[in-house]
Amino acid sequence: MAYGVFEYYHSPWWTRVGFSPDQPVPFSHRHHAGELRIDCRYCHSSVESSPFAGMPSTQTCLSCHSQIFADTALLRPVVASLEHGVPLRWHRVADLPAYVYFDHSIHVAKGVSCTTCHGNVGDMALTAKANRFDMRWCLDCHRSPPRAVHPAHLTNCSTCHR
Amino acid sequence: MPSLTPHSPANEFPDGASLWPEDLDRREFIKVMGASLALAGLGSCGRASKALVPYVVQPGEIVPGKPLYYATAIPVEGYGRGILVEAHEGRPTKIEGNPRHPESLGATDAITQASILDLYDPDRSQAPLARGHAASWSAFEGEWLERRQVLLGVDGRGFTVLTEPTTSPTQRREIHRLLDRFPRARWYQHTPLARYDSDGVQWDCDPGAADVIVAIESDFLHRHPAGLRYARAFARRRRVENGGIRANRLYALEAGWSLTGAMADHRLPVSPAGLRRVLDAVSGALDGNATDRDSDLTPDERHFAGLMATDLRLHAPRVLCIAGAEQPVEIQRWAHAVNHRLGGAAALERAGGAIRSDSDPRSAGGLGELAGAIDRGEVSTLAMLGSNPVYTGAADLDFGRRLAAVEYSVHLGTHRDETAAHCRWHLPESHYLEAWSDLRGFDGTAGIQQPLIEPLYGSRSHSEIVRLLADGVAVSDYDLVRETWAPRADGADFEEQWGRWLNQGWVDGPAGGAGRERGTGFQPVLSPNPGRMPVPRWQTGAPARPSPTLLFRPDPVLADGRGANNGWLQELPRPFTALVWGNALQVAPEFAAERKLANGDEVRLEGEGRSLVVPVWIVRGQAADCAVLHLGGGRSRGGSLGTGRGANAYAIRPQGSPWEIAAISCVKTGGSVELVSTQHHFTMEGRNLARSLNLRELPRQARDPGPAGSLYPAWPREGHAWGMSIDLSTCLGCSACVVACQAENNTPVVGKEQVARGREMHWIRVDRYFIGEGMDTRVLSQPVPCMHCENAPCELVCPVGATVHSSEGLNEMVYNRCVGTRYCSNNCPYKVRRFNFFDFRAPAESTVHLQENPNVTVRVRGVMEKCTYCVQRIDAGRIAAEKDDRPLRDGEIRTACQQACPVEAIVFGDLADPQSAVSRRKREALDYALLGELNTRPRTTYLAKVINPA
Repeated sequence: MAYGVFEYYHSPWWTRVGFSPDQPVPFSHRHHAGELRIDCRYCHSSVESSPFAGMPSTQTCLSCHSQIFADTALLRPVVASLEHGVPLRWHRVADLPAYVYFDHSIHVAKGVSCTTCHGNVGDMALTAKANRFDMRWCLDCHRSPPRAVHPAHLTNCSTCHR
Repeated sequence: MPSLTPHSPANEFPDGASLWPEDLDRREFIKVMGASLALAGLGSCGRASKALVPYVVQPGEIVPGKPLYYATAIPVEGYGRGILVEAHEGRPTKIEGNPRHPESLGATDAITQASILDLYDPDRSQAPLARGHAASWSAFEGEWLERRQVLLGVDGRGFTVLTEPTTSPTQRREIHRLLDRFPRARWYQHTPLARYDSDGVQWDCDPGAADVIVAIESDFLHRHPAGLRYARAFARRRRVENGGIRANRLYALEAGWSLTGAMADHRLPVSPAGLRRVLDAVSGALDGNATDRDSDLTPDERHFAGLMATDLRLHAPRVLCIAGAEQPVEIQRWAHAVNHRLGGAAALERAGGAIRSDSDPRSAGGLGELAGAIDRGEVSTLAMLGSNPVYTGAADLDFGRRLAAVEYSVHLGTHRDETAAHCRWHLPESHYLEAWSDLRGFDGTAGIQQPLIEPLYGSRSHSEIVRLLADGVAVSDYDLVRETWAPRADGADFEEQWGRWLNQGWVDGPAGGAGRERGTGFQPVLSPNPGRMPVPRWQTGAPARPSPTLLFRPDPVLADGRGANNGWLQELPRPFTALVWGNALQVAPEFAAERKLANGDEVRLEGEGRSLVVPVWIVRGQAADCAVLHLGGGRSRGGSLGTGRGANAYAIRPQGSPWEIAAISCVKTGGSVELVSTQHHFTMEGRNLARSLNLRELPRQARDPGPAGSLYPAWPREGHAWGMSIDLSTCLGCSACVVACQAENNTPVVGKEQVARGREMHWIRVDRYFIGEGMDTRVLSQPVPCMHCENAPCELVCPVGATVHSSEGLNEMVYNRCVGTRYCSNNCPYKVRRFNFFDFRAPAESTVHLQENPNVTVRVRGVMEKCTYCVQRIDAGRIAAEKDDRPLRDGEIRTACQQACPVEAIVFGDLADPQSAVSRRKREALDYALLGELNTRPRTTYLAKVINPA
C-alpha cells in the first residue's frame, strides 16, 4: 500500500509531467517559437521586468493574425475574443502553489533560460509540463546555482515563501 | 484524461467549524472537529486546473505583477494630505504618504492607512434609495428636474444645501455657482469637530524652531490637519544623534490624555477652570507680579505655573504656545498674546486667511442656524451632501425630528446612515479614491485628488451632485476639476502642467518648482512692539467643591464616528485605555474611588436636561474632577460592524458648548458591561522594559552590562544582516505603524469577543507604561514587533521546523509546515506571535479581499504568524538591485511600519553595513535590547526615551 502511494506520488499521474491540458486554441509553440523563431519575449513581454512572465493579450495575437490565417476555424475563438471583448481563458501548464512567490524577472536576469524550467518549448506542438515544479526540483538549483551568487540566501524559506 | 482525483468539496470546513459560540459544549465541538478533519483529508487531494486570463487589449501602463503608484490626496477634516496609493492591476491596496507633499512628508496616520478598507466596505451604499426603497439615478434625476423648475420659478426660495466645510476649490466653486443660479437658496456648513480659524484668521506654526512649547489642551502632534508636519518637526528636536541632542521642552496642560500630553516633559492634569487659573498665574508672572493670585492654585498648579513662566521668559523669543482648536476663543487669544509678548509669534507663528470654507461669506451658518431656518419654515428642499447631521448634530437640536418637517430632503453619503434613514432620497457617494476633486493642505498647498478606480457601485461625487442640483444635468467630476484649474495655466500648456500636477501630487506654478500654489499667503506675525501686547487675564475664583466637568473629544481613531464601520479602526487599541470596539467614560482613579466605580461599571451622566448611560474606564494621570468621553460611539446605523459600539456622546452634547459641560451629575447605576482592553494582553511588565532617562544623564549607557557570553557560536554574518531600531524618544504611540502593518500584511480583524480572549492578530503592538505618580505621571509608548532574535527561543521548540532562521538573520515563519502546536508562542519572551485560532478570513465573496496584498500569504486557521520584517519588501528590493547589478542602497527597503511613522522612530536596514542608518542608531549609548538579559540577541533594539524636564 505504502509503496503504491509512493509510486503514484512519483508518477506523472501525480506530477503531471508531460501532460498538456486542453486549451481554447491548440496553440503550437513548436510552430511559433521553434519554426518561426519568434522570441519568447514577444508574447511573454513582462518576463524581464515582473514576477509574472505575462500572457499575450488577444490584441497581441491579432497583430499578426489579423493578416495571417485570420478566417480559419482554429483562430475563431481569438477573433471572437476581440469582437466581444471577452478574454481568452488559457489553462495553466506550469503551476505553482499560491504560497510560492516565484519571480521570473530575477531568474532571467541571472541567466536562467526559459527552457531550463519550461523544457524545449520550441519542440512542443501542444505545450506540456516539462518538469515537476515541486520544491525539491527548485532546490536542486537553489542549493548549487551554476553561477554562485548568494548561495546562502537562496535556500532561506523566505526567498520563496512569505 | 479521466479525473484521477475526487473534486474537493466546495466548503472544506462545515458551517460552524470556524465559529465558537458561547454555548458550544465539548461534545458538540468534537463532532464539528471530527467532520472537519474527515473532510480536510479529502480536500487536500483535489487539484483543479487554474486559468490564465490575459487582457483582450492590454493597457499600456500596466505590467502584470508590478504595482503602480499614483499621487492623490485624502481629505482630513476637509484639509488635503498628499498620499501615494499602490495599485495592483487597477486595484488599490495600500496607502503611503507622499514624501514631497508638505502635509505628509512621506508619513501617514492610522486613519489614512485604514481608509483603503472603507473603499471595499461591503456595507457601502450601492444604489439610490427613494424613501428607503432601491431606486435608480434616472428616477432621481427625473424627479429633480421637475423640482428644479419649481425652485427656479421662486429664485430658489426654500432651497437649502448643507455640506461639511471643505478646502476644495472645485467644491466651493460649484456651491457658489449653485447660489448664483438660485439667488435665494441658502448654504449651511456643519462639522461636529473643531474649526481651525478664529477671528477669520488661521494660524500655522513651526514647532521645530521652538525651544519651549506649551500645549494647552492641544493634540497638535496627532489630531490636527497639520499633525504629521508638526510631529516630524517636533521629533527632530527630540532625537539623539551621534550622542547629541538640541532638545526642546514641552509643557502640556490638559484634563484627559492626548498623545501630545504623553510626549510632554511637564504635564499638568487640570480641569478647564483650573486651566484658566494656571494661565492667569502665568500671565501674572510674565507681568512681573507673580504672587497676586497664587493663593487660588493647588501646590501642583503653582509649581507648574512657576516652571512654565520661568521657562517662557528664559527662552523667549524661541517659545510657542499652542491652544487646542476645541478651546474657546479666549484661550486661543491667550496663547497668541503670549507668543506676541515674548516674540515667538514673529519667528514661529504664521497667520493667514482661513483655508477651509468655515467662514465663507456666502455661507449662512452652521447646523444651529439651519435648525432655526427649518423652524421658521424657510426650508422646503434640503440637500445634505457628505454630512450626517442626524447622528453628529447636538442633542438639543434633535435634528432628526426637525428633518421630518422638511418637505423634500436629499442625502448624499457613502453609507445608509442615520441621516439617510430620515430622507426622501439617499444617494450613494463615491469614496475619495473613486472621485476627482482638489484639496488644499493646512498650509494652503493645493493638490489634485485623482481617483484610482472607477466607482465600484455607480456612486457619484460631491461636486457632481452639486452640479446636478444646480443645472439638472450630469457632468463628470473630471471635467469639473479641470474647469477649475484650466485658468491657472495662464497661457502655458495646460495639459503639460495638469500631467505634472497629477504626477507629483500638488499644484505648482507654470514654470514648475516656482513655488507651490497656496490659497492664502501665510505671513509671519509682526507686532510693532512685542513687549506691549497685553496678555488677557480673567477673574477666577478659588476652586470650589469640584463638580465634575464632562469633556467631549474626538475619538482618536474613529474621529466623529465616520470610521465606525472600519474593522481595522474599531480593533485598534485606543491610546491610554487600549479599549477596542467601543468607548467609555474615562475618569481618574480619585474620581472612581469617590463613587466606588470599577472598570466597566455603568454611570448615568446628567447635564443640561439630558442623560446618558455609559461605562467608565479608569485612567491614571487625568484631572480628578473631569471625565472624558469620546465622540463616535453608539451609532444606530453605523453598518454591520459599527452599529451599537459604545455610547453615543452626541446624545448629551449641547449645541452651545460642544466641548464641555461644566457641571454634570454622575451616578452609578449598578449595572456593568464588559469592556475589552488589550492593556494586559501579552504583558511583560515588572521588568525594565521601556527605559527613559533624563537629558542631563547623557551619555549614560541605557543597556545593561551584557551577559558573559554564550555557549553557542555567534550567528554567522554573511551577506546582509537585517535589523531594526525603534526610538522611544520620538515615538508618539499613534498606532499608524499598527494599521500600516495590518494593511501590508493581510492581518485579519477578529472581533470583540476574540479580542477579549487575547486573540487579536496585530503583528506590531504599542505597549504603554504609566510611570510615576500625580503630576509626574508619564506615559511611555513602546511599539513591539517580532525581535528577530539571533538566539530565537521560538525556533528551538518547534517540532516541525516551521520557524527557522534565515542566513540574513530573519526569524522566518513557514506557514505550510506549521501544525499549530503554539509551543513557539509559549516560548517567546516578547509575546509577538499570533495564532489563527479560527479562519479569520472574510467570506470568499466579500469585497474586502480586493484590498489584500498579493505578495503576502493570507493565512488560514491553525497556523502561527508574526512580523516578518516585511520580507516581501526585502525580496522585492533585493531583486530590483540585483537586476540592476548594483548593491542595495541603505533606505531602499523600508518596512510598512517604518514608512508610515510620522516621526521616523523606526529605522530598518542592514547591520552589516556600518554606515547604514540603523547601524548608526545602534551605536548610540541609548541603544538597549528588550529583555537583553535573556541573551536572545534581538535584532530589533530600542533607543531609550530622553526626557528634558526643567
